[in-house]
Amino acid sequence: MEEKGFTRRDFMKAGLLTAAASALGPGVLRPTGLWAGTSKIKGPIKVGYQAIMSGALAGYGEFHKMGVIMAAEEINASGGIAGAKLEVQFRDSTLKKPQAIKNARYFVDSWGADFLAGVDSSGQALALAPVIAELDKVIIITHAATEKLTEQQVYKKGIRQIFRISSPTYQDGNAAAFVAKDLPAKSWATISPKYEYGYTCWRMFKNTLSILKPGASFIAESWAPFGTTDFRPHINTILDAKPDGLYSTEWAGELITFVKQAKQAGLFDKIKHVMFPVGAAMDVLEGLGKEMPDNIWISGRYFFLYPDNNQNREWVARFKKRWNHYPAYVSETGYSAMFAIKKAVEEAGSKETRKVINAMEGMMLDSPAGYRIFRKEDHQAIYDVPWGLTKTDPRYPFKIMGKQILVPAKDCFNRPPFEGPGTKPPF
Amino acid sequence: MLTSVVHVCLAGLSTGMFIWLVASGLTLIFGVLGVLNFAHGSFYMLGAYFCYTLLRVMGNNFWLGLLLGPLCVCVVGYLIERYFLRYVYHLALPYQLLLTFAFVLIFDDLVKIVWGPGSIGSPSVAGLAGSVPILGRNFPVYNIFIMVVGPLVALGMWAMLERTWWGRIIRASSSDREMASAIGVKVPALFTAVFVFGTWLGAVGGGLAAPYVGLLTPGMGESIIIDAFVVVVIGGLGSLKGAFLGALIIGLLSSFGTRYIPTFDMFLTFILMAAVLLWKPEGFFGEAK
Repeated sequence: MEEKGFTRRDFMKAGLLTAAASALGPGVLRPTGLWAGTSKIKGPIKVGYQAIMSGALAGYGEFHKMGVIMAAEEINASGGIAGAKLEVQFRDSTLKKPQAIKNARYFVDSWGADFLAGVDSSGQALALAPVIAELDKVIIITHAATEKLTEQQVYKKGIRQIFRISSPTYQDGNAAAFVAKDLPAKSWATISPKYEYGYTCWRMFKNTLSILKPGASFIAESWAPFGTTDFRPHINTILDAKPDGLYSTEWAGELITFVKQAKQAGLFDKIKHVMFPVGAAMDVLEGLGKEMPDNIWISGRYFFLYPDNNQNREWVARFKKRWNHYPAYVSETGYSAMFAIKKAVEEAGSKETRKVINAMEGMMLDSPAGYRIFRKEDHQAIYDVPWGLTKTDPRYPFKIMGKQILVPAKDCFNRPPFEGPGTKPPF
Repeated sequence: MLTSVVHVCLAGLSTGMFIWLVASGLTLIFGVLGVLNFAHGSFYMLGAYFCYTLLRVMGNNFWLGLLLGPLCVCVVGYLIERYFLRYVYHLALPYQLLLTFAFVLIFDDLVKIVWGPGSIGSPSVAGLAGSVPILGRNFPVYNIFIMVVGPLVALGMWAMLERTWWGRIIRASSSDREMASAIGVKVPALFTAVFVFGTWLGAVGGGLAAPYVGLLTPGMGESIIIDAFVVVVIGGLGSLKGAFLGALIIGLLSSFGTRYIPTFDMFLTFILMAAVLLWKPEGFFGEAK
């Protein structure tokens, strides 16, 4: 055995030498040039980003990518994250839970991601939660909206690795109720997706509006399965019920189809108060163009004309120049997620999960959508997004938000401990 | 109440006619060639995309797009039948399913590469864009148009198969390939022709559906093809009469289901299919084998 040339002792020596070399490395071989950072963070900083990039909702993936790529370009052009380069890899999340989990595992185990981000579907986000706890990497959710993620997985179960930078269903359900209470409509109905997101928003809207306006009634619901292309039967249900107001969390391509078919059926002539919580998505506004009726209440997770300040205007202009598109809300949340990672890592002075989590809890982030604060208890970013009425504007080939109403996040977001009195609006 | 029932009926009938346009080609191909063609949904999708592209190229003329688009898809159908399907006719059914399913995946990805992964808005058809009031509620003119086109296609196919010399040859070849070829029918060429015609029907279905759905999406054929399969199974595999009736039943069932028993609307069609398979496995008009 000993005659084999490379003995165990040699092996030990070689190992020690390597360890010594790597320990000396940063001092001896100091990096030069752009990445000659000052800190002890070993770059690059890798972010694994997943979003829906195929099927009817693939437009969302494209908009995610635009925001994230632009953020990476800007961050790297100005010295990276604490001197380390930011690298992002994208994967198609589809809408299937196993695919989301596979992507997360690939990113961390095979590619060596330091952070994860993205995710559109609520179901996927909930399925990912235990996997994230096991992988022990910080994930920043940029779209999936279910409140159960932050209320139950983060707050109750203590999966502290999960943060959400986009506004959750509170914006779709609670904030909508605050807008609806001042409308002359008394009876409400819904056509919404026949899955978690649709049910949870309608329940929240009903509960909150019932408190804000005790006379409100909810007289019809029609649930459209994922992939619905013919809304005619659902529209009949609603027209039969003759509500004053219609609330619909249909989104993306299905919202486009629904609006076109509802228009043909004369729904917007008969129902004067219509609310689309995710109608302010750019794919919907651009997809419908002039076909989107005026005076529809819409909202989203960000709208490119709010806040009306220089910082946001300049960002929108940069985005338009880079991509020849107005930023969709997922572009903003994706963009800001990269800057949240930058700020947290720089404040923590490390990319180690524990330290980054501690830095991010309660962290304030200046972003195109305005100031965001990551609430310590449930890791939900608190920031304001307006509701607005659609309006024709000659400067844009699509409808924009005209009259806007802002329901501040602090007034309409559920509060920890999320159970018992005083945790749900109105406060 | 009356308004409601009438409109639920109208919605059901127009939905049924959309499904029939797709199911007609599917059942024809099965009836004559004995092939269960998964790729039929892809022809529907390609039909929609080709019609849209040609319509855009030729100054938004929907009718010219609808005339030429499906012909382009026919070329695709021809190539598939001539160079792929022909080699699996004599093999077991699973081989045909695998081959045609492979084409579904290939075409979905090709569409993503050529037209992009996102959805494309489809314009409405000039002249058919509005609505007419029926009992005080608007009904789209375009749906009325579809409710006229559907039965016309059915009538045309029936006349062709039952009343023409070509129809007789097709029926003869489908009931006994060997005997037909023995008396001089060029069966392979005939099969190609029938497959291409079936392809054309699927593509026309896609071209007609796009303005109503309002969107073109990669993979858009997958949801309609499931309905079409259910219709073909209920009506009896290979039976045109059965597919027409089946499409009407499924259309009405889903419309009434959504309106009056919304909790179970997604199950209704499958419950019906299960019931038919249990009590009349060959379908309403299928031949017992």
